[in-house]
Amino acid sequence: MPIDVSVVRKIAALARLRIEAAEEERYARELGSILGFVEQLQALDVSGIEPTSQVTEGARPALRPDEVCPSDARDEALAGAPERDGDYFKVPQVV
Amino acid sequence: MSAPANRPVVLESAETLAASVRSGARSAVEITRAFLAQADRTAAKLETYLHRMPDRALQDAEAIDRKRAAGEALGNLAGVPIAIKDNICVRGVPTTCGSKILEGYRPPYDAHVIERLRAADAVVIGKTNCDEFAMGSSTENSAYRITKNPWALDRVPGGSSGGSAATVAACEAPLSLGSDTGGSVRQPAAFCGVYGLKPTYGAVSRYGLVAFASSLDQIGPFARSARDTALVQNVICGRDARDTTSRAEARPIDLETLEEGISGLRVGVPRSILDEAGDGLAPSVRAAFEAAISALERAGARIVDVALPHAKYAIATYYLIAPAEASSNLARYDGVRYGVRRPDGDLRGMYEATRGAGFGREVKRRILLGTYALSAGYYDAYYLRAQKVRTLIRKDFLDALAASDALLLPITPTPAFKIGEKTDDPLAMYLSDIFSIPASLAGVPALSFPVSFDASGLPIGLQLVGRPFDEGTMLKVARAYEKEHDAASRVPAIVTAGEGGAR
Repeated sequence: MPIDVSVVRKIAALARLRIEAAEEERYARELGSILGFVEQLQALDVSGIEPTSQVTEGARPALRPDEVCPSDARDEALAGAPERDGDYFKVPQVV
Repeated sequence: MSAPANRPVVLESAETLAASVRSGARSAVEITRAFLAQADRTAAKLETYLHRMPDRALQDAEAIDRKRAAGEALGNLAGVPIAIKDNICVRGVPTTCGSKILEGYRPPYDAHVIERLRAADAVVIGKTNCDEFAMGSSTENSAYRITKNPWALDRVPGGSSGGSAATVAACEAPLSLGSDTGGSVRQPAAFCGVYGLKPTYGAVSRYGLVAFASSLDQIGPFARSARDTALVQNVICGRDARDTTSRAEARPIDLETLEEGISGLRVGVPRSILDEAGDGLAPSVRAAFEAAISALERAGARIVDVALPHAKYAIATYYLIAPAEASSNLARYDGVRYGVRRPDGDLRGMYEATRGAGFGREVKRRILLGTYALSAGYYDAYYLRAQKVRTLIRKDFLDALAASDALLLPITPTPAFKIGEKTDDPLAMYLSDIFSIPASLAGVPALSFPVSFDASGLPIGLQLVGRPFDEGTMLKVARAYEKEHDAASRVPAIVTAGEGGAR
């Protein structure tokens, strides 16, 4: 299934992923080849089949008691930040 | 279980080592030193580790010896070294998932499995190399190094948990943990000639495992025997409130039941799946498969024909579902909270530059594929349809496992391939996952166990598949096979090569 470089650009933008111009052609070709392969699923009749999003059917999601419990220590959580400002993660200007 | 007293420590089973620490016959420090010394000889050559931690390991071993001296009871892995795949968080220890985007990251917490290992008095000795974010089948997608197969240094160890498989095969550690999303424990186990278990989905808490495809990811052990595999599984399984998919049904296996034999046990053989692989299935693997069927029959098992009619759609299904979930899970790597940041103008520019520079080619390819499969106009045709096919695949397995107690099938179409052989063709690499992916989609447990060697001395493994939360039956079958043909007792030449040999 042929994928156009404009499609690669569009999904890369959706994924906030910078792709070098020189690489776009290769990704287009590889995605086209993989999407061509998965086309085989279209031949299967799946009408009336329920989708499986998680294989824990039959089990209710386990809930924990709603109690206060220790969370990440603020300093430890911030320790890995590329840039911080006191108790905050710092990011480039948004507006 | 008794072994000659002069048997080198690094060839000893984890079970025996732990028993000797509990009895005082050996110290945890002595055992840890022996494995660290072994790794000193081979780890740089094999490139099994991203981060070794000998000082910390010896401190932990000393603490275990002090506990014993104080008369405290020791756990089931007392003084036993264990290596951890680099996508599992160990507090304060670099955890990169083999990716540049997490370079320098040190998690502020231990994963659930690490807490459990420490409570059992195991000794964590390092973080093993893996394909970036566990995406790959050869460990060649690591951003840092290419791990070599201990049986043939020009071949891959498999992946994505290649470092964890290779380090156990090379006796640098008696045990390790990996993660298995589509075969990432089972396939490298087969390539390296060791045991690798993918537990039932929900059997082990993923708290602290870096998420790849959350409906598939499971943590599982590598070991050199069926009993050692069960020993680790017993330590890490069970309910943990921090992973809502983890289940209380996951209970420890009584190791003595593994000795019961398999008389009358029904082993299902889905022959049609071999035909799907066609010419891709190596004659050596097919021969090992047929020989194993005969061996299990001789051990008393009843061989039953079963069918997995939808298994042929598994690769296509997986390569929609897994990238879709990955594209969402990997959105968190944005240069804000941890890892690397590439400034580039505004916030969006920083996101795009950071992710563009931080992720490798395979990860980008899967993010693009997943984003495409989830995007407006394609969701129903791709992602939703794949989830429906997944329902059919799971039903096939549950039906086959109603007619049998465990299934036997290949795990890899060939023994370990050469480094560089498949890196130019992502689809060819994906197709080598044909036997591992179906059980992942079905969420059932599966075990890769070593059965023999091909003519050039490369290990061959096969796969057992069990009913949900019945890891014990698979291990019982593997143990019965092991008693007659202990393929894992052979170690690669690199283990004993060099100064002094194995100690």
